Amino acid sequence: MAISETVGARGAAPATRPRFSSDLQQVWIGVALIAVTGFGPSFLGNSYWVHTFQLVNIYIAAAIFQNFLFVDAGQKSFGQGVLLGLGAYVTAIFFGLHDYSFALAALIGLGAATAGGLLFAFPALRVQYFHLGFVTLSAAIVFPQILMSLDRWTNGINGISVSLPALHQEIFLGLSPLTILVALYPMLALAIHYGLRRSRLGRQMRVAAISPEAARSLGIKPGVMRFIAFVIAAIGTGVCGILYLPAVSFVSPQGFNVELSFVFFFAVVVGGRGQMLGPVIGIWIVFILPNIALAQFVEYRLLIYGVLTLVTVMLFPDGIVGSIERWRSKRGVTGRGEQAFRVDAFLEQLTGGSDRQPVDEVVVEVRGGTKKFGEVVAVDKVDIKVRRGEIHGLIGANGSGKTSLLNVLSGLSRLNAGSFFINGREATRLAADRIADSGVGRTFQTPRIFPQFSLWDNLRIGMDARTGQPSPDIARLAEALEKEFAEDSAELLSHGQRRLVEVMRTVLKEADIVYFDEPAAGLSSSERANFARLVKFLARRMGKTIILVEHDLDLVFNIADTVTVMEQGRVVASGRPEEVARDPATQHMFVGGRRA
Amino acid sequence: MLEVRNLHAGYGIVPVLEDVSLSARSGEILLIGGENGAGKSTLMRAIAGFNRPTRGEVLLEGKPLQGMAPESIARAGLRLVLDGHRVFPELSVFDNLRMGAAARRGDRVGFDAAIEEIYTVFPILKEKHRKYARDLSGGQQQMLALGQAFVAQPKVLLCDEPSMGLAQALLPQILSFLRKWAETGTAVVIVEQHLQVTAPYADRAMIVERGKVKFECPAAELDARLAAEAALEQAGAGR
Amino acid sequence: MLSEIAIIVIRGIAIGSIFAMIAMSFNIVHGATGILNFAQGNMFVLGGFGAFFLANETGVAWWLLMLPLTGILIAGLVALQGWITLLPLRSSVEQDSWLISTVAVSVIIAAVLMITQGPFAYTVQGVVPSFRILGVRTPGAYALSIGCMVFWFVALRIFLRHTFVGLAISALSQDFDAARAAGLPVRRLQIVAFAISGLMVGTAGFLVAPVISVASDAGLRYVLNGFVAAVVGGIGSNLGTLVGGPLVGVVTMLTAYRIGGAYQDLASLFVLVAILMLRPQGIFGRVSARRV
Repeated sequence: MAISETVGARGAAPATRPRFSSDLQQVWIGVALIAVTGFGPSFLGNSYWVHTFQLVNIYIAAAIFQNFLFVDAGQKSFGQGVLLGLGAYVTAIFFGLHDYSFALAALIGLGAATAGGLLFAFPALRVQYFHLGFVTLSAAIVFPQILMSLDRWTNGINGISVSLPALHQEIFLGLSPLTILVALYPMLALAIHYGLRRSRLGRQMRVAAISPEAARSLGIKPGVMRFIAFVIAAIGTGVCGILYLPAVSFVSPQGFNVELSFVFFFAVVVGGRGQMLGPVIGIWIVFILPNIALAQFVEYRLLIYGVLTLVTVMLFPDGIVGSIERWRSKRGVTGRGEQAFRVDAFLEQLTGGSDRQPVDEVVVEVRGGTKKFGEVVAVDKVDIKVRRGEIHGLIGANGSGKTSLLNVLSGLSRLNAGSFFINGREATRLAADRIADSGVGRTFQTPRIFPQFSLWDNLRIGMDARTGQPSPDIARLAEALEKEFAEDSAELLSHGQRRLVEVMRTVLKEADIVYFDEPAAGLSSSERANFARLVKFLARRMGKTIILVEHDLDLVFNIADTVTVMEQGRVVASGRPEEVARDPATQHMFVGGRRA
Repeated sequence: MLEVRNLHAGYGIVPVLEDVSLSARSGEILLIGGENGAGKSTLMRAIAGFNRPTRGEVLLEGKPLQGMAPESIARAGLRLVLDGHRVFPELSVFDNLRMGAAARRGDRVGFDAAIEEIYTVFPILKEKHRKYARDLSGGQQQMLALGQAFVAQPKVLLCDEPSMGLAQALLPQILSFLRKWAETGTAVVIVEQHLQVTAPYADRAMIVERGKVKFECPAAELDARLAAEAALEQAGAGR
Repeated sequence: MLSEIAIIVIRGIAIGSIFAMIAMSFNIVHGATGILNFAQGNMFVLGGFGAFFLANETGVAWWLLMLPLTGILIAGLVALQGWITLLPLRSSVEQDSWLISTVAVSVIIAAVLMITQGPFAYTVQGVVPSFRILGVRTPGAYALSIGCMVFWFVALRIFLRHTFVGLAISALSQDFDAARAAGLPVRRLQIVAFAISGLMVGTAGFLVAPVISVASDAGLRYVLNGFVAAVVGGIGSNLGTLVGGPLVGVVTMLTAYRIGGAYQDLASLFVLVAILMLRPQGIFGRVSARRV
């Protein structure tokens, strides 16, 4: 089977194409801004600004972790101030009141902040969205109350003073160790955020935040992702608390009221949600403006926070950096329009094995499967057997239960009665991510494409979902795709092409069993022909088992080994394509001599 | 009655429909067919205001509707029945029908008459008028959805896949109801996958392919036209 | 001992009735819009300020006149807030801007109260005299609180099930697109839902002002406890709030008496975390099963 007619159909991307993401540039600008404000005042010997920017830079670091949590993990926390406070207060208690060494006290403080983060992280395993907003806000309100009440340990309203002269001593060029630390830490935080975002974990987190069902069908547990995100943010923010202590030399309950948490949250919104540089600009505006530039109106501080945030949400919801970034990406068109994504040029990467035929081993089996929505029966006592290596066409009118059945078979919804088996093991009550990890891949009727990701990263999610090492073929294919699409936007792709992207994801995942949900809808006839060859290639050369839900009956009858017809949730015919085509039960599907 | 001119629409910045024009005359049924993903539902949603068209015009009795909110379009007399027999599950059957009157408030007599008519056509709705809509079967929910639209007495009715999820046997009953409805002077547009069953009830037919109008013809000629198109494609592929 | 239990139960239920009312006011807005108004607690406290400024130490007739007036003023304010909150949702793809804007409004209201009224808690004189029940002297406002909760529960039930506007608001929460297709004026209905929620918390704040903390920073506490009550009962279930509210009220009251007043909010935080871990859909909540 030769799939090579379009070898090198398109040349390499021109070198001048704008980058898809400006994250790295933003990190460098952020690092430069932090360096200037962090070190500059010391060079000039202005101790007021040295002190001010120490605090500003600590807050920037906390806002960076808030930003990560907010956008990369999709979680809205109003309680990050609590974690900073736990780090600072617990360190102060052990260092200031109990004479532990600073290092040991700081370690205990970090542990406390992490434990506080678990309070947010555990509910995150079960719920998300506004629930966690209330949990975190609640913690932010409770925290100062607790500090006051536990005065036996916390000194109550009097707070704790500490002195760490060693950290304030100038070592060179007017810089003290503390100044260096608090300038380096937000830079490190930026690097961590950037690194996480570019990592497999970071991508999976974002997928889980944007589309939980797509995530689950790729083997990701959204709850676990949220849990990890909260823990990472707690540790990162806890370190801010430890640095806060020597920078301010004093902790008291009033310093950690709900207002502090709002500062971090609002800074991210005003600066630009998800933008690397957002927290830097955000803290400068939200914190510096009312506290320093307008210090004589200090009682209006909260009002200014609130108004700034409300105005941002109403007028430019992308925030300051986000609005600039949007303008930049509008100027450079980062997609290639209608025909941007074609699979045929890449299929020659897959040399594959020898011709295979379906074997008589059942890999997917449904026994008496029934799925109801209220009184409406979507899947009605269905029995289906799918053999290994076969292309199993599943056809029927819209609403006949095909997609409902796929949702059941991928674990996204549960059968009300009956059972189903994958690779001989019962999977009726298995979670979607477990089913995905056992070698099942799927596409959706409404393709799950993430415009935040470049086209390559959209494909790469498939690589991320792998449970083992890629075969040399797949590794080569991935390399070619990366070269071609790393800087492309996925936003301009037509719906048909979006489906192909999802198809390619399952190829990269090397799923053994693949469900395609109307993959050819919206494709042109030449794209269809290519798609048909891809499906045959997957089954015949790579030995994949494919369940193909499709309305293009020509396509199905040309490539399927078995065709099953559904009507009203029931299976009305099943067998070899020729037999099914002759079956009286399917005659009405053929209109005007055409299968439409 | 309804005139759509050079409509362009899509989701986000992804274009789906290109340059679609159609007209629906009062008293007539226009059948729209085409594959899944061709843009039929997008067309219905764009006409009814759920997707803002990027270009083109939607005229109801000569008055432009494009850019208006769906609820305002419904009140102007163009009613879309969404696909998938969507009703308000936690409301009773009667209250579901009542909601239909939102587009014609204040006409108590007409409302009562319309309800009576619906109950005559679909007696099962009268029988179950105090039951929650969630306790109806898919077919009964579709009847209810149509009944809700009927109560509003729109000038134009758009009906997206009335057959979806229904027993085949129910479709003729629903189609003949739509036929009678059209004959009272309403312009009806039906999007349907079962072309063969639906065509006899329609006056004109239109096929949409990949976001564009492929052809339009009298409904009676649809079968022949499709066969001819298929033969043409076969020949093209054979070359 | 017995009297302490009586106090805990009576006051717990009464304070819990406040939480239940806030929870019900959440439900009506959430059903119609999907929004949970973080500023709802501040609106409730504003009702208390209404009682302080308009009807403190006045006659019963004047007080009775000011009650609906305060309710209507707060209703108008919440409707305005709703209108603002819904503005960006009209066009934007991203639908969670409300979370930010309602928190921002909550901060703004608290800040304005702080600037104009200072950080003090105001005392409001009750109009209904205190009475004895189970041998415990109980301020009249506690009885008002429970009565108000029952009133609003019944009123909402009648409104949502038997009036056209109420049914339409229920319809919105069940299928938004189908409601628009049917020609229901969705924005207007959503604003009405906001206004009703304002009317509820405005009147509640006015009635119970003598027994709550009428202070600029009290709003967040009430909104949180109201949310806990809503989650315990199951978000969307008004019947659930009748259980959730008093339950949270009794737990916080018990904490106040047995451990200390400063730990009340911690107790409701624990209740919240526990319910989210064990039964996130609440007591009366159904696991939502929307078709794909």
